[in-house]
Amino acid sequence: MLLDIRNLTIAKDTPTGRVNVLERVNLQINEGEIHTLVGESGSGKSLIARAIMGFLSDSWHIQADRLWFEEHDLLNLTAKQRRAIIGVDIAMIFQDAKSYLDPNLTISEQLQEAVLDQDLTGGFLARRKQRKERVVQLLHRVGIKEHSNMLESYPHELSEGAAQKIMIASAIAHRPKLLIADEPTSTMEPATRQQIYRLLAQFHARYGMSILLISQDLGAIMKETERLTMIYSGQVMESGNTRELLDQPHHPYTEALLNTSLYRQAQRPPRSRLPTLAGTEPSMQHLPIGCRLGPRCAYARPKCVQTPGFSKKRDRGFACHYPLNLEDDA
Amino acid sequence: MSRYLLRQLSLLLVTLWLLTLLAFSLGHWFSGDFITNTSGIFPEDIRFAETAEARAAEAGIVNQYTAYLGHLFRGDWGLSLLDGEPVFEQIALRFGATLEIALIAFVIAIVLGIPLGVLAALYFRKAVDHTILTISLSGYSIPVFWFAQIAILIIAIQWGLVPIAGQINPLYEITPRSGSIILDILLEQPEHMTEALHSAFLHMILPVCILAIMPMMLIIRLMRNSMLDVLSQNYITSGYAKGLSIARVLWNHALPNAMQHVMRQIGALISLLITNTMIIEVIFSWPGLGSWLVRSIYERDYPVIQGGLLVISAVILLITIALNIFHAWRYPQVRKDLYGAN
Repeated sequence: MLLDIRNLTIAKDTPTGRVNVLERVNLQINEGEIHTLVGESGSGKSLIARAIMGFLSDSWHIQADRLWFEEHDLLNLTAKQRRAIIGVDIAMIFQDAKSYLDPNLTISEQLQEAVLDQDLTGGFLARRKQRKERVVQLLHRVGIKEHSNMLESYPHELSEGAAQKIMIASAIAHRPKLLIADEPTSTMEPATRQQIYRLLAQFHARYGMSILLISQDLGAIMKETERLTMIYSGQVMESGNTRELLDQPHHPYTEALLNTSLYRQAQRPPRSRLPTLAGTEPSMQHLPIGCRLGPRCAYARPKCVQTPGFSKKRDRGFACHYPLNLEDDA
Repeated sequence: MSRYLLRQLSLLLVTLWLLTLLAFSLGHWFSGDFITNTSGIFPEDIRFAETAEARAAEAGIVNQYTAYLGHLFRGDWGLSLLDGEPVFEQIALRFGATLEIALIAFVIAIVLGIPLGVLAALYFRKAVDHTILTISLSGYSIPVFWFAQIAILIIAIQWGLVPIAGQINPLYEITPRSGSIILDILLEQPEHMTEALHSAFLHMILPVCILAIMPMMLIIRLMRNSMLDVLSQNYITSGYAKGLSIARVLWNHALPNAMQHVMRQIGALISLLITNTMIIEVIFSWPGLGSWLVRSIYERDYPVIQGGLLVISAVILLITIALNIFHAWRYPQVRKDLYGAN
């Protein structure tokens, strides 16, 4: 197990009291696995990523039975220990890549920062030369052939796709074991998105790198995704093998999301109503008690005011008192 | 970049030309005779007829302006109506004295202000931040002239730690060459040089410190706000994501970007500094441009007013344009905003 998160709860103090923005989240990622985390905006997906990276400020209260990366407990690291992991074994790329590049430095300068001293040998000048060579290699690896032009460019001169490639180049500088991709393609058109996904799939195949992909949309995930985790309003609804989960969703939330997908729509008679979930996502001030999907769930019964436990069945996990599609197993 | 450079330089030239036009017009607008106003020579003087001829008194306003420009470029800026000293030489001598305290004060303001601002931003809403903010707010609110007099009263008179006014103890007999007292002592090489430098240093402490307060407080606030803004930017996060230490993220990414906002405000800060320098010079009898100009305004010393205005405006203008050019040269996206290319 590469990343092991058990019962992760992240809370924030608000004027009306402490709110569990993320509640008892479980997430496991194996070596060499592409894992996609799907949830609407505000569901806390990025919060998980930030908790792993250690980006959350003191105003967030993090609690977990386990937040482990390999044998490191990510909750109890000194700054120095964290730096030995973050940027080396765990790397991250972001949505809106351009804003993650320093506007006043050239691409070459920013990529050189990602090359760590420990990978270089020799004196100051020799290291400088190696660093520049490594940067050119990195650019070639992400498919940027005209490196001389790119090296002297500033971020504002790049397209969104090119900026994301630079971010990827910087992230893979140390062949990380885990790459967290936080909606890396949400602002791109489908062609560029496929390019970026192809690139990620390539590094996954070549280095055996695990990828935690965070996405808003079931329709825009990597086709190589092996496992899916569905998150709604800070609670994990369901997780499991991609194919099985999409074929036989156990959780009403997954079912509802699938109903809105293009594929299922094509099977319905023309002009029929799109079967969306009733209502809107709850705000952090008015979270439902128990299962947070409750008020919107077509299958909800009184018992749903108790938070359902996370039941595991073979490779699948779900948090629902009344799961769907379980008859065949019995 | 070269196009921007040309545009800034042409702006400089046009503004300088307008300044000469204004200074020339002042000669006509002031009460009294135009020739006396610009040259400082009274009609009773035997040189008056000759001067009137040279300044084209009877030849129409265009010729007068050309003659005025000619005198301006030759360094003949007229004589002071009060003491008959040549204005240009006086300016050259006093400019050094003004520059000396203004520059030292500015350096102090930057060297202390920027780290304090960064510190306040790093400890946002903690005790350190509150302390620095409170001090900077009160420091900024206290008027310079009041503060200067209180400081003289307590530090110079009550405690007797430093002299009250002046540039140096007159016993040292330093002949002014550059106007800057430290430079003058080094040029003069007097017998007791260390003591002379010590005396000059003691004289300088109070005016320089009081002068430094206002820009320093401003720089602290500017730096804090700009640093807070930069620290919340995404590229800071990605610095940490690369595994850089806090120090490296601050030094490589936060500081340069935060300085960009501060640099933009420094031009405005310098005109404030120059205004304050004049007040300080009057209070501390510092023999600089400011005290001399203030006296000339009281005494209706028209040639001095014209010359002094020209020099001070030109200096502020030059600094502003130099800052603009630096800004465009240093920051690529500014260049892009300016004319859409590199």
